[in-house]
Amino acid sequence: MSAQKKKAFQIEAFKHRVVVDPKYAEKTWKILEHAIHEIYNHNASGLSFEELYRNAYNMVLHKFGEKLYSGLVATMTSHLNEISSSIEAAQGGLFLEELNRKWAEHNKAMQMIRDILMYMDRTFIPNTHKTPVHELGLNLWRDVVIHSYAIQSRLQAILLENVRRERSGEVIDRGLMRSITKMLMDLGPSVYQDDFEKHFLEVSADFYHLESQEFIESCDCGEYLKKADRRLNEEIERVSHYLDARSEAKITNVVEKEMIENHMHRLVQMENSGLVNMIVDEKYEDLGRMYCLFRRVPNGLVLVRDVMTSYIRDTGKQLVTDPERLKDPVDFVQHLLDLKDKYDKIITSAFSNDKTFQNALNSSFEYFINLNSRSPEFISLFVDDKLRKGLRGVTEEDVEVVLDKVMMLFRYLQEKDVFEKYYKQHLAKRLLSGKTVSEDAERSLIVKLKTECGYQFTSKLEGMFTDMKTSQDTMQGFHASHGANIAEGPTLSVHVLTTGSWPTQSITTCNLPAEILGICEKFRNYYLGTHTGRRLSWQTNMGTADLKATFGKGQKHELNVSTYQMCVLMLFNNVDQLSYKEIEQATEIPAPDLKRCLQSLACVKGKNVLRKEPMSKDIADTDNFLFNDNFTSKFFKVKIGTVAAQRESEPENQETRQRVEEDRKPQIEAAIVRIMKARRVLDHNNIVAEVTKQLQSRFLPNPVVIKKRIESLIEREFLERDKSDRKLYRYLA
Amino acid sequence: MPSPPSPYFSELDDIDLDASDFTASVPLKKVPNGDIFEASRAGDVDRLRYLLESGVNVNARDNWDSVALYYACLAGHLDAARMLLENGAICSEHTFDGDRCHYAALNLKVRKLLKAFEARPPPLGPLQGALRDTFLSCEANRGFIDQATESGLHFQVSGFASNGASSSYYFPPDVVFFVQGRPIEAHRVILSSRSPFFRRKFETDWKDRNEVRFSREKLSYPALYSLIHFFYSDRLEVAVDDMEDLVRICKVCKCESLQRILEKELIHQKYAEYKALRDVDNSQKRFILQGLSLPEEDRLPASLHRILQISLAQSSKENSLDIGVDRLLPHVGAMQLSDSLDDLADICVRVDKRIFRCHQVVLASRSEYFKTRLTRMKEFHEGKDALPSDTLPYLEERGLSAEAFEKMIEYMYTDGLTDIDPDQAEEMFDAASRYLLFPLKRAVADVLLPHLEMVSPAELCHWLMLSDMYGVLKIRDYCLDMIACNFETFADTCEFRAMLLTLPPPSGDSSLRTTVPSAPGAVINTDQANLLDDLREKWLEAEGAELDERDESALLFDKRLEMLMVVAEQEKSLPSAADGHDYVT
Repeated sequence: MSAQKKKAFQIEAFKHRVVVDPKYAEKTWKILEHAIHEIYNHNASGLSFEELYRNAYNMVLHKFGEKLYSGLVATMTSHLNEISSSIEAAQGGLFLEELNRKWAEHNKAMQMIRDILMYMDRTFIPNTHKTPVHELGLNLWRDVVIHSYAIQSRLQAILLENVRRERSGEVIDRGLMRSITKMLMDLGPSVYQDDFEKHFLEVSADFYHLESQEFIESCDCGEYLKKADRRLNEEIERVSHYLDARSEAKITNVVEKEMIENHMHRLVQMENSGLVNMIVDEKYEDLGRMYCLFRRVPNGLVLVRDVMTSYIRDTGKQLVTDPERLKDPVDFVQHLLDLKDKYDKIITSAFSNDKTFQNALNSSFEYFINLNSRSPEFISLFVDDKLRKGLRGVTEEDVEVVLDKVMMLFRYLQEKDVFEKYYKQHLAKRLLSGKTVSEDAERSLIVKLKTECGYQFTSKLEGMFTDMKTSQDTMQGFHASHGANIAEGPTLSVHVLTTGSWPTQSITTCNLPAEILGICEKFRNYYLGTHTGRRLSWQTNMGTADLKATFGKGQKHELNVSTYQMCVLMLFNNVDQLSYKEIEQATEIPAPDLKRCLQSLACVKGKNVLRKEPMSKDIADTDNFLFNDNFTSKFFKVKIGTVAAQRESEPENQETRQRVEEDRKPQIEAAIVRIMKARRVLDHNNIVAEVTKQLQSRFLPNPVVIKKRIESLIEREFLERDKSDRKLYRYLA
Repeated sequence: MPSPPSPYFSELDDIDLDASDFTASVPLKKVPNGDIFEASRAGDVDRLRYLLESGVNVNARDNWDSVALYYACLAGHLDAARMLLENGAICSEHTFDGDRCHYAALNLKVRKLLKAFEARPPPLGPLQGALRDTFLSCEANRGFIDQATESGLHFQVSGFASNGASSSYYFPPDVVFFVQGRPIEAHRVILSSRSPFFRRKFETDWKDRNEVRFSREKLSYPALYSLIHFFYSDRLEVAVDDMEDLVRICKVCKCESLQRILEKELIHQKYAEYKALRDVDNSQKRFILQGLSLPEEDRLPASLHRILQISLAQSSKENSLDIGVDRLLPHVGAMQLSDSLDDLADICVRVDKRIFRCHQVVLASRSEYFKTRLTRMKEFHEGKDALPSDTLPYLEERGLSAEAFEKMIEYMYTDGLTDIDPDQAEEMFDAASRYLLFPLKRAVADVLLPHLEMVSPAELCHWLMLSDMYGVLKIRDYCLDMIACNFETFADTCEFRAMLLTLPPPSGDSSLRTTVPSAPGAVINTDQANLLDDLREKWLEAEGAELDERDESALLFDKRLEMLMVVAEQEKSLPSAADGHDYVT
C-alpha cells in the first residue's frame, strides 16, 4: 500500500471533520429552524427537501442529534404557543373550527418536519430512547394547546354543550365534533378519556338522572320504556357518529343505570301499567321492550322474572282453588291449557324465548297445579272427555296437539301415580263401554306416557288393550263353536279381563236372570275348556245390556242399560209391581249400586221406564216400583245411564286415595331395598333423599311414610339398625 | 469468561431447544465427495456448508423424490436440518415435501425445529423483502392475503399490520389488473423485468393504460396473484389446485424456467397422492418454490440487474448527447419520455452532473428517503413545478459522487455489490446512512473487512472513527479488537493519541463499570456506546486480569489513557514535532 494512498485516506478521513465546528452546527440548525418556521407559515414551497434532509442528516451524523432534537422541541413549542393563543382568541362558535383548522395544519406541518428529520427519526431517536417526531408533535400539541388553561376547560365545555344541545333536539355540526374527538383520540386514549369522556359520562349521568325523574312522574310504564329505548338508541348513534367506539359500552351503561336500573322496581310495579298489567293486557310490544331494556342491567331480568312468577302463581292458585271451577273438570283443565298458551306466547314473542323464563313458567305451573290434590283426576277426566267425544271429526295432527298439551300438564304433576290410577279407571270404562273415539289416539297417548315415565308405568294400560283384543278373538271362537246352540237365546258378549291389569273392584256378584245364566255357563265351559287352570268371575258391575221392551201402547223400544239395570228390569217380565226389598232380595245387588240404578230407571225424566211410589227424588227402602206402561220416547233406542257422577264422590275419592297410598307402600319398599342393596349402609336422611329422588317421576313420597316403611322392613329383617349409631341402617341378607 | 452468544444461536433463541441438542452425540461419518443428499443423510455439516455456499438448490429432489431436508430429519441431524432450513429449505406442512419431513422426523426435537421454521420461513433477502412489502401494501392485494390466511393458507405477512390502510411500505401502483372481477395492483417495471410478455405489452398495447381488464374466464385470479407475488418476492406459494392455471399463465408470460419447474412438479403432484404419507386436504395443499430453485438469470436480482443495465446505458447516452446538461437543466428540468421506451424508467436522478434513469418503485421500496421524496413532495420546493405529462420527473441529489450513487443503485436493484474500491467505502457508508439503506452498510463492510487486515494503525483509527460515526458495527468491532489486542503498538501511534482527544471521555463513573465479574459487559449499550468504554471492555477481555482484579486492571487502563491524552495535548501544541514522528508501521 503506497504512502500516497494513505495520504489520500487521511485527507478524506477529515473531510467531515473540517466542517464540524460549533459554528457549523449553529449554522445548520439556523437553516433547519428557518425551514420549520416556514413550514408553519405555509411557505414550504420555497424549501428544498433534499437540502434540508441533507442538513439534518449531517447534523445527526456529526453527533449534533441532541442539539437538533432539543432545537426541534423548542421551536415546535414556541409555534404551538402562538397557535394556542390564536385559538384562545377565537370567539364563541368559531373556537372549535379554529381549533380543528389549526390541528389539521399542525398535523401537516408535523408530517413535513418528520420527513425532513427522517434520519434523526430512524437512527438517533431509537438509540437514545427519545420520543419519535410524530409522537413528540402530538405530545406537545396536547401539553401546549389542549392542556393550556384557557383552552382545556373551554373545549370541554363546548363539547359537552354541543352534546346537550343535540340531546335536546338541536342540530349540531357532527363532522366538526367528529374531527375534534378524533383529535383527542389521536393524542392518546388517556387524553380522550380524561379530557372528554370522563366529563361526558358525568354530565350524561346527571342529565339522565333528571330526565328519568321527570319521565317517571309523568309517564306510564310502556311510555317510559319507549322513551328510554329511544334515548339509548340516540346515544349509540351518537357514539357511531362522533365518539370513540369504546365509549359505547360506557355511555349505554350510564343510560341503563340512570334510566332503568334506578327505576327498575318502580317501573315493574307501576300501577295500571306495570308488568302485571302488561301481561294481563297482553301488550307484547311493551313486554318485549321491557325485556330488551332490563336485560341490559344486572338483576333486571331477575326482577321481571320474579314478578311474573309470583303473578302466575297467584292467578294459578286462584284458578285451582276456585270452588266454582272445580265443578267442571274439563273446563278446569281447559283453563289451565289456555293459561299456559297465553304465557307461552308472551315468552316466545316478547321474551325472545328466554330459557330462564320458560323454567320460571314451568316451575310456577308445577307449583300451583299440585296445590289442588284433585288435579291428576281432573286431567285424566279431561283426557277421558276428549277421547270419548271431544276429538270426533278432528284431524290427527290436532289430536296430537291436544295430547301433547295434556302431556305437558302431566309433566307438572307430582303425583303421577294418582293420575295413573284414575287414568286406568277411565280407560277401563272407555274400553268396556266401547266409547273410545280413536284407538290411535289412545295408543298415541300411551306411547307418550311411556316415553315420559317408562315401561312399568304403562304396562298395565297396554295389558288392557291386549285383553280387549284377545276377548274379541275368544268371542269369535265361542260363537263359531256354539253358534247353533245359542242362536235363539240372548246374545252374549264377554270381555275377559286379566286380574291386575284392570282397576280392581271388590267382586260384587248379583243374581243374573236365568236366561242369561244359561249362556254364561256355556261360555264358562267353553273358555275353561280352551284355557285350563284359569278362574273366571263375572264383573257384573261393569257390563251393559240391550233390552227389547214393549210398552203399553204397543210401543217397542230398545233399552240400553247396565247389567244391574238389566237384572232389575228382567224381574218386571213376570210382575208389574215390586218393593225395594223384593228387588234387593231377588238381585242381591249391593245397596248403593241398586239405589243408583233404580234412581236412573225411575227418576230421570224421559227415561223413566219404572214408576216409583211415592214419587220423590231419592230412593228409600220402603219404596215400591211399578212398570211404567205409559213410557214414551221419541227415539227407538233409549240409553239409560246410571246416575253416576263422572267426578268421584267424596267417599270414593277417599277410597282412591287410600288405594293409591296402599300401592305406594310396595313401591317405596322396593326403592328402599334397591338403594340399600347397593349401599349396604346408609343413614336415615340419605335414604329419604334417595327414595324421593328415585320415585320423583311417579310421585312425591311422604318422609313419614318412608320412615314407616323402613320400620316395617326392619321388622321383616331386610334391614337392621346399626348397633352404635341408631341413625344408620344396614342391609341384611 | 463466558463467551458472548454466537450470532448463530442468538437469532434462533426463541426456538425451544438447547444448544446441546445441536451437537451430535456420536461421531458422524464424513462424506467429503457426497452430494447434498448424502451430506444431509450423514449429517456432515462441513460438507453441507460447502455445498450450500457453492449455491446448490436446497429444495432439489433426488431420484427417490426426496429433498435433502427429508434425509436430515429422517436421520435426526438437527444441525444439518437447521442449516438446510436457514438456507431456505421448505418445511411448510401443507406442501408435499414439508409434509414428508414432518412425518419422517426422527424425534420430537426435529419436529420442534421444523415447527419453529414453519412459523418463520427463511427470511427473504432485503431486496425481495422490500419489494414484497411494497406489493402487499397495495390495498387490493392485501385482500387475498387476508382471505388466504383465514382459510388456513399462510402467506407470511410480516412487518405491518394487515388492517392499517396506510402502512409505511405503501407506494402507489401504476397498473391494476382485473381478473375474474378482482383487482391486483402492480408496478410495470417489476412485471416487465420478469416477463417478456408483460414487457412487450407495456411497450405496446398497455402503454398508456392504468387499468387492464382480463375478460377471459379461464384466467384464474389466485394463479395470477401467485405469479405476480412471485415476481416481487422470488418466492412462489400456490395452491396445488391452481398449479395448472399457473402453468398456462407462465406459458403466456414466457416465464420458461418457472414453467418447466411447474410442469415437472405438476406431474409429480399427480402421483404425490400415492406417495403422501397421510391425507392432506386437497384444497390446503400448497406448492412453495424459492427463487433459489430457478437458474440464476431468472431470479429477481438478475432481472432487475438487466433493467438497470439498460437504464444506465440510456443514461450515459443521454449524458453524452447532452454535454451542456448543466446549462440546460434549469430550463428543461426533465427528460423527454420519447426515447426511453426500453428501460421503462419513470424518474431521473441527477447526481454530480450525471443523470441516472431509475424506477420509482425500486427506489421507493428500498429507501424510505426516496419514498418520501417521491410521494410527499408537493409541499416543498421540489414539488412546486408541475411537470408536463410527457417528461420524466426529475430529482437532484447533492453531496455525493456519481460513482457512489451508481454503486448504490446497483445495490438497490440487485442486492449485490461488485468491484467496490475500499476508497469508495466511506462514501458508500455515507450514502447508505443518508438514504436509510442499512443493509448496504453491511454489504460494504463485508467488502471492506478483508482490506482492513493490511492497513496501518493510523488508518485503522480512521476507520474506527468512521464506523463509529456511521454505526457500522462490524467494522467498529473489528477495529476495537485490533486496537485492544495490539494496544501498545497503537499507543505509540500519534494518530491514535490524536484521536483520543477528539473522543468523548470514557465514563469515569465506576458504578457504570462492571464490578460483578460474572456479568462483563452487562452495561454495554452495544449500539451507541462510548467508544473508549468499549475499548476498555475489549482490552480487559484481551489483557485484563481475572475476576477480582478486573477493577484494578480497568483503573490501570484508564490511567494509561489519561497519560496518552496528556501526551497528545502536548503534541497538539507542538504540531511540527508530531508530524511524521511515529509514522512507522
